[in-house]
Amino acid sequence: MERVKKEPFIHITKREPMPWWKSLCIRVGAVLIALIISAIFISAASPRDRGFFDYFSSLFSGAFGTERRFWLLLQNTALLLCVALALVVAFKMKFWNLGGNGQVLMGCLACAMCMYYLGGKWPDGAVCLLMFVVSVAAGALWAVIPAIFKAFFNTNESLFTLMMNYVAMYLVAFFIALWYPNGTGAMPPLSDANLPTFGSGQAGRSLPIILAAVIVTAFIYCYLRFTKHGYEVALVGESKNSARYASINVKKVIIRTLVLSGALCGLVGFLLVGSINHMVSTSMDSNMGFTGIMVAWLGKFDPLIMAGVALFINFLTRGMAQVNTDFGFTSEALSDIVIGLIYFFFIGCEFFIVYKVHFNFQKGSVHPAPDFSMDAAESSSSEENGRSAPSPDGGDVLPAGGDAPVQTEGRPLAADADPPPETEPSPPEGIKRSRRSKKEEN
Amino acid sequence: MEVFLSSAIQFGAIFLFGCVGEILTEKSGHLNLGIPGIMCMGAAGGCFGVKLVAMGESPNGVLVLLMGILFAMLFAGALGAVYAFLTVSLRSNQNVTGLACTIFGAGFTSFFLNDVVDIADVTVAGRLSFASLNFFNAHIPGVEALGWFGNIFLGHGVLIYLAIVIAIVVAIVLKRTKAGLNLRAVGENPATADAVGINVTGYKYTATIIGAAIAGIGGLCYSLCYTSGNDSTVEVTIQIIGWLSIALVIFTMWRPAVAIGGSFVFGALYILFSYISVAPAFKPLLRLIPFVVTILVLIVTSIIGHRETQPPASLGLSYFREDR
Repeated sequence: MERVKKEPFIHITKREPMPWWKSLCIRVGAVLIALIISAIFISAASPRDRGFFDYFSSLFSGAFGTERRFWLLLQNTALLLCVALALVVAFKMKFWNLGGNGQVLMGCLACAMCMYYLGGKWPDGAVCLLMFVVSVAAGALWAVIPAIFKAFFNTNESLFTLMMNYVAMYLVAFFIALWYPNGTGAMPPLSDANLPTFGSGQAGRSLPIILAAVIVTAFIYCYLRFTKHGYEVALVGESKNSARYASINVKKVIIRTLVLSGALCGLVGFLLVGSINHMVSTSMDSNMGFTGIMVAWLGKFDPLIMAGVALFINFLTRGMAQVNTDFGFTSEALSDIVIGLIYFFFIGCEFFIVYKVHFNFQKGSVHPAPDFSMDAAESSSSEENGRSAPSPDGGDVLPAGGDAPVQTEGRPLAADADPPPETEPSPPEGIKRSRRSKKEEN
Repeated sequence: MEVFLSSAIQFGAIFLFGCVGEILTEKSGHLNLGIPGIMCMGAAGGCFGVKLVAMGESPNGVLVLLMGILFAMLFAGALGAVYAFLTVSLRSNQNVTGLACTIFGAGFTSFFLNDVVDIADVTVAGRLSFASLNFFNAHIPGVEALGWFGNIFLGHGVLIYLAIVIAIVVAIVLKRTKAGLNLRAVGENPATADAVGINVTGYKYTATIIGAAIAGIGGLCYSLCYTSGNDSTVEVTIQIIGWLSIALVIFTMWRPAVAIGGSFVFGALYILFSYISVAPAFKPLLRLIPFVVTILVLIVTSIIGHRETQPPASLGLSYFREDR
């Protein structure tokens, strides 16, 4: 290596894949730091005389304090997990479905329409069945419209789905105003055609929802891991060109996947209206579309980790509501701040899992070679290998590790998926090659 | 009609701040979906800054304005810096980081305005004298004499003209200066820019933070200029405005000068619902207009797919020098 006069103070290299317990430690550490920071700020800003440790006791009592709270926590987790799973299917394909809110709301609206127009006129069982079908169809419709335009014209899907959120919101407002012209814009709960519950308590009301979430989780887990469809989704997400090369109909995959994604969101809407609220409001989605994105991302697109993340986020939301009352704040938005802070730390800590930072303390001194660790040497040698095999379009820059979440686990994507059908050319190679020449991301 | 056009320009200015801020950010290759949250932060900071100096008996108008703008830029810039740090230095996914910024910014603003600045107390109880809010809407004296022309084009507060000036300045900087050329190079192909010796990280940070600060003034403009502090759920409306501003960037083809006209069109679309008289049940349908138009614009621009209308080539991708 050539002698260099001035070394940069910070040197960043890619890390070898980390053992899972080590990366888990980093993540838990990041969350703990965020929690402690929020505890310090909140106990300092509180108008009441509350200390640092009261924060944590309030947090736990809000989430687990009574049996009812515990079941509500599980119920909200189940709903959030369903939305996040719906989004994961799309994200695996690098389709940024930011329209979870709107898809859930459309499911809610369709369900409420059935209850409003048919409740009491038809037998409850028939209405419930129709509610299910219509809600799922409405959610799917709301997702498939952007998908069709994405598939045929490559329309920017993130903004399209975002706008669909607001279209759904105002449609709900329109129907409430239409049904209750003299009301205050709120809809009273309907008593007909409610979904059956197991018993009368909160546990009985929550159990069907939790059950539904368990089924959905198992389904998505199997769908993404063991089916041909799931494999195609992952391949389209990695590179559209290699998918095309493997004679996959990319347009069909995009549309089919988004139907599934929207249908699951619609299912959540069905549960929200049919089983929990028996009415619809413009804020019924409670921003689960956005929270679901964070759950999907922080859960590394793995349904089982996502269940844990969803539980943790709901634990915080419900716990912070308690902190809010105990610490005497008037705004309900406190939980958003703390959760936002935890997102920042959680997103930020990924860097330290994927990259290694070397500090060069001997400033300006001349020494033959920078004091690299083994990891750095490894990565620089692999870099040379890469140079010897130049990429087709002249050393184009690849997206960094942050864009390929599946690989940050150090597990190549193809290992997740099914063995390919015989007609396809060896897919891991195809994926790698296309990642070199990739340009069509945006 | 006069009132409608005048309000459209006022509302358009809010879009213009958000849109120009986002254009500047996107030119550096960063798709900042945190703009809604950042604009909320601007509203929080602006109210805080105004409250610092406007609680006295006879506040100084220029000082109130400057403090409002300064703190709006500071708060928004701070969240922009967090975003920049996470996406530039720590190379996180830009969409996810942006959404986290939005969740944080909206929550922070709601909390901050209710519990720290106590905006309801300030404006309803009148402790923050309404005179100081009028500084934001004070227009050039004597424009009423000019008839409709004066009312539509000259009868606005200083923030509206500031928006136009910023848009023009950003347009000139991007198009005519060396810094603008470098910035565009960073957005198109950071590796090439790096090879030429351009400080990629520096440009990305600068563009993101300045862009966030500009968008932040938009939040201030909504909360203190357009609604005069009467909106108790500022963060909800500003989020909608923020998303529309991001969509507007595509509509204006990444050109700040085009954004001036585009913003006013969007401003008109956004306030249209309160100027058409229909049965109250159908009001929500009229509020759909800006979103449906945005969707149509997205579809049309994607179908045309002209070379001029393409985003910066490396938009949304993180840059790691040692990557292949």
